[in-house]
Amino acid sequence: MSVAVDSAQPTTPQSAAPARAKMARFVGRAKVFWLLLARGAVLLMLTLGLYRFWLTTDIRRYLWSNTEIADETFEYTGTARELLLGFLIAIAVLVPLYVVFFLLTLAPGEGMWSLLSIAIIAFLGQYAVYRARRYRLTRTIYRGVRFHQTGSALRYSVCAVLWWGLTVLTLGLAYPFGQAQLERFKMRHTFFGSLSGRFEGSGWRLFARGILLWALAIVPFLIGAVASILAIDWNAVASATAGEASWLESSGLGGAVVFAALSGVWLLLSLALLYPIFQAIMLRWWVSGLRFGEVGVSCRLRTGEVFAVYARFVGYVSLFSLLATVFIGMGGVAVAKLTGSLDSLQDEIVTTVLGLGAYVAVALGYSAIYQGTVKIGLWRCIIESLDVSNVGALEKVAAAGEAASPIGEGLADALNVGGI
Amino acid sequence: MTASAPDLSTSGGRAIFYDGSTTIRHDVFIELDPLALRIRDSGGGVLAEWPYDQLETLSSPEPVLRLGRAGNPALARLEVRDTRLAAAIDELSQPVDRTQRIERRLRSKVIIWSLLATASLLVVAIAGVPRLATALTPFVPYALERRLGAAVDAQARAGLEGRRSGSAFECGHAEKEQAGRVAFDKLMRQIASAANLPLALAAGVVRRPESNAITLPGGHIYVFQGLVDAARSPDELAGVIAHEVGHAAHRDGLRTIIQGAGLSLLFGMLLGDFVGGGAVIFAAKTILQTRYSRDVETNADAYGVMLMSRIGGDPRALGAILTRIAGSTHPGPKLLADHPETRDRVAAIERMAARGPITPLLEQKEWLALKSICSD
Repeated sequence: MSVAVDSAQPTTPQSAAPARAKMARFVGRAKVFWLLLARGAVLLMLTLGLYRFWLTTDIRRYLWSNTEIADETFEYTGTARELLLGFLIAIAVLVPLYVVFFLLTLAPGEGMWSLLSIAIIAFLGQYAVYRARRYRLTRTIYRGVRFHQTGSALRYSVCAVLWWGLTVLTLGLAYPFGQAQLERFKMRHTFFGSLSGRFEGSGWRLFARGILLWALAIVPFLIGAVASILAIDWNAVASATAGEASWLESSGLGGAVVFAALSGVWLLLSLALLYPIFQAIMLRWWVSGLRFGEVGVSCRLRTGEVFAVYARFVGYVSLFSLLATVFIGMGGVAVAKLTGSLDSLQDEIVTTVLGLGAYVAVALGYSAIYQGTVKIGLWRCIIESLDVSNVGALEKVAAAGEAASPIGEGLADALNVGGI
Repeated sequence: MTASAPDLSTSGGRAIFYDGSTTIRHDVFIELDPLALRIRDSGGGVLAEWPYDQLETLSSPEPVLRLGRAGNPALARLEVRDTRLAAAIDELSQPVDRTQRIERRLRSKVIIWSLLATASLLVVAIAGVPRLATALTPFVPYALERRLGAAVDAQARAGLEGRRSGSAFECGHAEKEQAGRVAFDKLMRQIASAANLPLALAAGVVRRPESNAITLPGGHIYVFQGLVDAARSPDELAGVIAHEVGHAAHRDGLRTIIQGAGLSLLFGMLLGDFVGGGAVIFAAKTILQTRYSRDVETNADAYGVMLMSRIGGDPRALGAILTRIAGSTHPGPKLLADHPETRDRVAAIERMAARGPITPLLEQKEWLALKSICSD
């Protein structure tokens, strides 16, 4: 089935490689990525964020070009210039919209208008998510053929907003079905050249895998919330606000606060512990549902691997925090000595600028550590745990599709709904 | 190029080629001609011929050189995994950037430009936004300012009023406050008719302990009870109110809103979109807005002095009450001060105040009534 090979070639062609060779690998060196992130963090700070288009492009190039499937890596052809242009267009669209929203709040019936504005922003956000996905796909090249995406972003945004609304109303129970539906919509309209994609994950399967987690995280929280509401004698509270003394004991508010605090602590704890498990379930389910023609994927990502990724993050963050505390402490002492001779305004300017700088440096440091451990770690784990079936089908795909405009990316950036 | 001094006599080698129309992998042999590289398939047939000056380097994993042809509508890709061959192509082709030297130079340019852009946006925020707001303010119709004022008023009242019980927020409504109310209205009438503004002033005394007064867009002036208590003469109270009328006349509230919107655009949308950026945005906006505000106060003082002279009051009374109020409060950080230093303000008022005849604004009985406009 492979192309006939010239006898002058001494190496064995890849198609004849021994069985069980890894179909997918991540070949990037960690050091390169860390350098990229460190430089990016410094430049983000100096340019007050303008550098983000270049950093995003660099990160994508690194991730794509080091992801190898069937002995061939992907290629990201998007440019920072495109992202910048898309962002500027998005600003040009959003600024008049915001002005209209502002003027509407002055009109009678302001509650209705602000609700409408929120709805429009939500739709626009989902619209941007879909258009941005289209941009990223059409900038993804594999074996000289690009991916592309069809389908109406408007329809997607309506579906997405409705599903998210339902998810919130059902306290998350609708989440698996919404995700399955939205992913099916996305993949049905996704193509690799002439090869059409689809999504085979089922909402019920995700529901079955996740319901225990949901019960562990949400149910005690609900019980706590309900208990704290029941513990309050509302009549006592009502009379207390009317000015009667010693109402804290009589109203049972003290007990309610305890219940509320307990349920809040439980929610936080369970989120921290359960989130990696949830993420592992989601990623396995999502990746294993992806199909392109006859090409199928399954993901053997283990939950322990996801925990390991987060443990690494926590370790790095602790180390960084310690270093930052020592460094900022010493810097603070030095600055206090230096500014002692300055007049109060200069002193204020120097301390404000340095304080802000330190804060931003620490925040950017955490962000870089997150990207360098969690983001890349999960990406690597997923890729390394992939099983690709029928990979031969990837070898005879015809090119199709055009490069799409970056406006969606710009909107997503301006509305802060960006993905990778 | 590289440390291992490549053998540049290499005239060809193996590579992988994708022609851009299908994903079929071609194991090819490359020949390096003087002007172009020729790509031959295993059978010896020519698949493509790319001139060196049209080659472009594409992103690839580390040892691999991935090439495309610039301006080619098809996404044909040539992948050279043999480092010697890659070095030879790099040597022959000017645009090929295997060591990323060109990329680094371009990136330095980008960095310099974005630093310049950041600096220029900061200059716009410091110098451009206030001027722009000043230029735009006259174009906003008074009807819109009133409406805006009503919206701001609802918020400001909610913030000022807080949780209170018993007496009303506004003074002058109770039975025993009536006389004070009449005196206050008399004072306001003199000020308003001298100011003769295109929008109706609405002033009232409210129960707040601070020695202060505020003006909202649309000509809404709140005089705090603490200020009435601090004033030792009608001229002192009138001086502060005249200063506030100056804000209304200059439409400072409206201008502040326009400035705020401009700063939000600059710092919320164009700049500051990064982790930790929120604090930078907040600090920059606060410091810049208090800076604008200091100029605005100086102008309102000048207006107040002018107005006091016009109604025959003592223009220096404003300076006197400012000095007394400032003496009783602690100075905060200078960077965050939204008013100029009191010493400078008083000196400026003294300079501007003309020595004209002074007529009493209220009779002694009226002044005493006004002092107890908030009966409790």
